[in-house]
Amino acid sequence: MTKVKTTGLFLGIIGFCIPLLMNFQGLSLAGHIAMSIFLLAAVFWMFETIPIYSTSILVIFSQVLLLSTEGIIDFSGVPGYDPQSYTQFIGTLANPIIILFLGGFVLADAAVKYDFDKNLTRILLSPFGNRTSTIMLGLMAVTAALSAFMSNTATTAMMITVIIPIIAKMDKGDPARIGIALSVPFAANIGGIATPIGTPPNAVVIAALNQQGLAVAFGSWMLYALPLAIVMLLVAWQVLLRLHPPATEFVALDLDTKLQKSSHAILLYVTFGITVLLWVTEGFHGIKSSIVALLPVVVLTLSSAFSKQDIRKLPWEVLWLIAGGIALGISMKDTGLASWLVGGIAWGDLSSMMVLVVFGAVTLIMSNFLSNTVTASLLIPLALTLVTSGALDGTFGMLLVGLVIALSASFAMILPISTPPNAIAESTGVLKTKHMLLSGSIIGVIGLILVLLLSVFYWPNII
Amino acid sequence: MKHKIYIFVVEDEPEVLDAIVRDLEEFEDIFPIEMADSAEEARDLLSALIDEGHEIGLILCDHVLPGQNGVELLVEMQDKPSTAETRKVLITGQAGLDETVRAVNEADLKHYIAKPWKKQELVETTRKLLTDYVLEQTENPMEFMSVLDSERIADFIRKGRSITDN
Repeated sequence: MTKVKTTGLFLGIIGFCIPLLMNFQGLSLAGHIAMSIFLLAAVFWMFETIPIYSTSILVIFSQVLLLSTEGIIDFSGVPGYDPQSYTQFIGTLANPIIILFLGGFVLADAAVKYDFDKNLTRILLSPFGNRTSTIMLGLMAVTAALSAFMSNTATTAMMITVIIPIIAKMDKGDPARIGIALSVPFAANIGGIATPIGTPPNAVVIAALNQQGLAVAFGSWMLYALPLAIVMLLVAWQVLLRLHPPATEFVALDLDTKLQKSSHAILLYVTFGITVLLWVTEGFHGIKSSIVALLPVVVLTLSSAFSKQDIRKLPWEVLWLIAGGIALGISMKDTGLASWLVGGIAWGDLSSMMVLVVFGAVTLIMSNFLSNTVTASLLIPLALTLVTSGALDGTFGMLLVGLVIALSASFAMILPISTPPNAIAESTGVLKTKHMLLSGSIIGVIGLILVLLLSVFYWPNII
Repeated sequence: MKHKIYIFVVEDEPEVLDAIVRDLEEFEDIFPIEMADSAEEARDLLSALIDEGHEIGLILCDHVLPGQNGVELLVEMQDKPSTAETRKVLITGQAGLDETVRAVNEADLKHYIAKPWKKQELVETTRKLLTDYVLEQTENPMEFMSVLDSERIADFIRKGRSITDN
């Protein structure tokens, strides 16, 4: 165990014990326990003492043990908390948003299995010609489009296989090599915001909003976030072009497309198309996106296009990670911990704009160093509680702050540790951390400003 | 000390040994190179490295050595669990058919480089075999991307077999 992990272990245990030994005025017994779990999870997530998905599992286990009716503590006669069955906590694993992600994972993994992601990329890239700057835009547009429906990490890895031959043919001293190597992870991070299934923080935020009785349709999310994704993509493209101006005007791009033609592959293309179509048109037909998500799972498994081995290889730990985040939010809300925590600050004196600025900035900073999902999981319960304190305006305010947190989390890309796509790009050895730090900071700050502008000028008009 | 994956070279002629190590320079930052001039010395160094917690990713071994020969050393390594996965290459001018067959059958020989070798062949073989090794034997092959076959490693990540979104 490294020093950091050991420190995290001690701090986590101390954090867990503090609320149990103290008596905070105005906080229920269950609130104290929820705070213990919150502190333990926060420290373990920050120090990565144990893998982040294990911390999520630990959260759910602690809640079942300490906060459910079947747990070891008898809450009858103790005021301030009405414990629910343990199924409330383990049920987060079948939360509609988890099912939505499951459908997305099956679709994405099947796409990888039949090389649909690679071939689609080659088809989509062909209209972008061979000018260095437009190819870069093409690479970014395709990366963002794919990462809106697939994992940002898998999309980046796939695009790296596309850009390595391009970079290899360029002159060693050409700054555009760095620009291209950065364009892919940045576009993947940005593309993730475009749809609910684009990236896990979106899931945590949407699930938390659902618990407040606020349903967010797939298409509505895209209406809120897609315009921002497009603008940010252009911003990132321009930033990278200016920081790393291409030395040669043209680059060679070899694209040989071999779209697979087996019946399984064709079934996947059709299923992919129909599922995405049904998702984005949820507003017209009203079939919930999590129900649509069952379509690829059913069709691809019953036809054996997606086999038992493929099911085993799904990224299950990501679903655990999200479920833990959702569960943490439930107990913070139900035990009164969240409102107690935000109650200490006179939020009412702040304008709602200030609240959004604070949460946006804190999210951006935290998620540069922590997992984006963890950042969203820690902040969203607090943010949504602000509505009860009057600092935000009802359901509208909840949606605004939810969007601010989810989108700012994805704009954190200054370091290799900020997101897995950044880590992959750095590992190629084409660029140095300082390059990522500079362009990532500029893009992060512009992203945050745009998010705040949207929350004043765009979202209020369409929500 | 951080756990490392070593490249091991066994060669009794100092000039030849130098030439091999020079050709493999580009890997040295990430895969330290250890050398021995006889099978006996190699055996001691190998067990010392493994005792310190390191791994041997690749061994490039001459056949004709003073004392025990190269093929015997490779077969011996194949029989030990700690070096069974090490990718094994003969780099020699003088291994006969029988011995080479034995190396293929009993030491899972991955490649035979005839002396005199071309730098490109040596580098490409090393890159391919070390990439095979890290993809099969390590949890996070991403960290080796800068010196190995980055396309293959990226494709491995694409298939979701090491890191995912978080």
